[in-house]
Amino acid sequence: MSIAIADLTPGFAGEVSGIDITQPLTHAQAAELEAGMDRYAVLVYHDQKFTDEQQQAFSRNFGPLESSLGGNITRPEERRFNVDMADVSNLGVDQKPLPRDDRRRLFNLGNRLWHSDSSFRAIPAKYSLLSARSVVDRGGNTEFADMRAAYDALDAATKAEIEDLICEHSLIYSRGTLGFTELSEVEKQQFTPVRQRLVRTHPVTGRKSLYLSSHIGTIVGWPVPEARAFVRDLTEHATQPSFTYVHKWRRFDLVMWDNRSTMHRVRRFDETQVRDMRRTTVAGDSVTVEQLAA
Amino acid sequence: MTIDIQPVDGQDFVGEISGIDISVPLAADLVAAIEAGMDRFAVLVFRGQPLTDEQQCDFSRNFGELEVTLISQMLKPGERRLGPMEMGDISNLDATGKLRSRDDSRRMYALGNRLWHSDASFRATGAGYSLLSARVVPGSGGNTEFADMRAAYDALDAATKAEIEDLVAEHSIAFSRSQLGFDDYGEGNADKIRPVRHRLVRIHPVTGRKSLYLSAHIGGIVGWPVPEARAFIRDLTEHATQPQFTHAHRWRVNDLVMWDNRTTMHRARRYRDLHEVRDLRRTSIKGTGQTAEQFLSVAAE
Repeated sequence: MSIAIADLTPGFAGEVSGIDITQPLTHAQAAELEAGMDRYAVLVYHDQKFTDEQQQAFSRNFGPLESSLGGNITRPEERRFNVDMADVSNLGVDQKPLPRDDRRRLFNLGNRLWHSDSSFRAIPAKYSLLSARSVVDRGGNTEFADMRAAYDALDAATKAEIEDLICEHSLIYSRGTLGFTELSEVEKQQFTPVRQRLVRTHPVTGRKSLYLSSHIGTIVGWPVPEARAFVRDLTEHATQPSFTYVHKWRRFDLVMWDNRSTMHRVRRFDETQVRDMRRTTVAGDSVTVEQLAA
Repeated sequence: MTIDIQPVDGQDFVGEISGIDISVPLAADLVAAIEAGMDRFAVLVFRGQPLTDEQQCDFSRNFGELEVTLISQMLKPGERRLGPMEMGDISNLDATGKLRSRDDSRRMYALGNRLWHSDASFRATGAGYSLLSARVVPGSGGNTEFADMRAAYDALDAATKAEIEDLVAEHSIAFSRSQLGFDDYGEGNADKIRPVRHRLVRIHPVTGRKSLYLSAHIGGIVGWPVPEARAFIRDLTEHATQPQFTHAHRWRVNDLVMWDNRTTMHRARRYRDLHEVRDLRRTSIKGTGQTAEQFLSVAAE
C-alpha cells in the first residue's frame, strides 16, 4: 500500500489514500505526509475511525501537541477531554447540544469567522487536525482559504505596503466582532493581544503568505478603524472562491491543515443536532515577530 | 428632451441615463420618467452634470423631502465645510478645505462608509434615494460599489426566505462604527445612536418586490442572542454582495449617481485619502415610514 494524494483543488487541498493513519506510521510515511502538507496546505483523509488516543498519536508525528488551554472560556469542570484535545463540538459534558444562550456556544460562534488557529498565541500553531465523530445532515461545512495564493495575487503596491506590517491578535477582537464582550478579568488577562507579522514566510517552502485572522484587532502604528477596514479588505480578497476549498464532512473524515498558510471557518448548521468534531493541534516552534516586553 | 436609460452590465440594476440636464428645473413628466427608471433599476448614473450645492438640493427635492445628515446634526456649526444642513459631506476635507489628517476623528467616522450599508438605516424611517455628486475625484481607487438587494433576496433558498420573512433587525450608527473600533461621538449625541428596528425583508412600495434590508448598521436581531444574530447577518451580507449582485462605479468629475436605499447597499473603496482629494456631496430623501407600515400591515394579516 502506498500513499497517494489527489487534487481536490489544484495545489491547495489534497485527498490522501493508501494509508491507515489510525495505526503507527513509519518515519518515511510521516515525512511523505508532511511533504504533502508543504505542497498542498490542506489534506483530507476519509474513513479514519480514530479514538482520541490514536488521533493524538497520529498528530505527534508532526511535532509536539499544543495545549488547548487558553483558547476558549470553557471551565475545567466543563471540559469533555484533556488539554491535548480541543473540543470543536456543540456539546456540553452531558453530551447534549449546548442551549441557545449558553455562553460557551456564543463564544464558539467566533469559529464562523475566517481565522487561523491560535494566531492569538505568541507562538502560533503549525497544523490542526480535525476528526469528525458525528456530523450533521446539512450545513456545518468547513471552508479553507489559501493564504499563499491570496498573497501571490496581490498587486505589487499592496505587497510593498504590507511587507513589514505587524498585527495585534486576540480572542477579544474576534469575539468583539460578534458582540461577545462580557469577559472576566481573568479571561481578559488570558486573551492579552500578541503580535504577528502580516506577511509570513513558510519555513520549508519559503513561500510568502498573508497571515490574516479574525483575531486581528489592529495594525501596529495605524489608527484602529483604518487598520480594521484594511484588514477586512484583505480578508475579502483572500477568501474569494478562487482561493478556497469547501469541505463537506463525512463521519470519520480527518482533515489536517497548515495554519501558517491557510485560514478556515465553519458554516452555519442546525445546532439542535449533534456535531462532534475533535481537534488536535501541532504546536508551532517560533514567533513571527518579537513580542512586546510583558 | 427625451431621456434614455441604458442598462450597465446588461442587467436591470444600474442604468446610465442620458438626454437630460438636471441642473435646471424639470417638468413633471421628466421627474416621473426618472422615478420609473429608479423603480426598474435601483441605481441611475448621470454623467457630465456640473452642479452647485443649491442645484443638487433642488434636483433632489423632486423626489421628496431632504434629510439632514446625522453627522451634520452631531457636528458644531463651525466644524462643517458645506453650507446647507441637507448637504452630506462625503469628502476627506476639513472645514477649511484641507485634507484630514490620519488620526482625525471625522476621518475615523467616515471609514465606516467602507462597510456595506444602506444610508440612514439607523433612522426609524430609513432613507429613500441618495444622490451623490462627484466634484473632485482621486486618480485611483475610491470606487463606490452597489449591491442589488432584490436579486440577493430572490437568490436565497426557500428555507432561508421562510426563516427570515418576519425577522426584525436593530440598526444603529454605533454598531457599524464599533465594528471598526470607533466610538467617539462627542457629548450630547447619545440619542442619535439609539437603535431602531427594521424588517429584514422589505417590500418596495411601487414594484412590490421583496428585498433584503441589510446594513452594516445592524447590531442584532430581535429575540436572538447577539453573536448568533451577527454571524447570521454576516453570512447574509456575504451572500448579498457576491459579484453577480454588485456593480462598481468608477467616478468621473460631475457624475451624479442616485440609488434607492430601500433596495440596495453600497460602500466606498479605499483610496489614497491622505494625499488625494475626493470631494463627493450627498443629498438624501427622507424615508416615508415604509418599514413601520409594512410591519403593521403584515402583523394585521
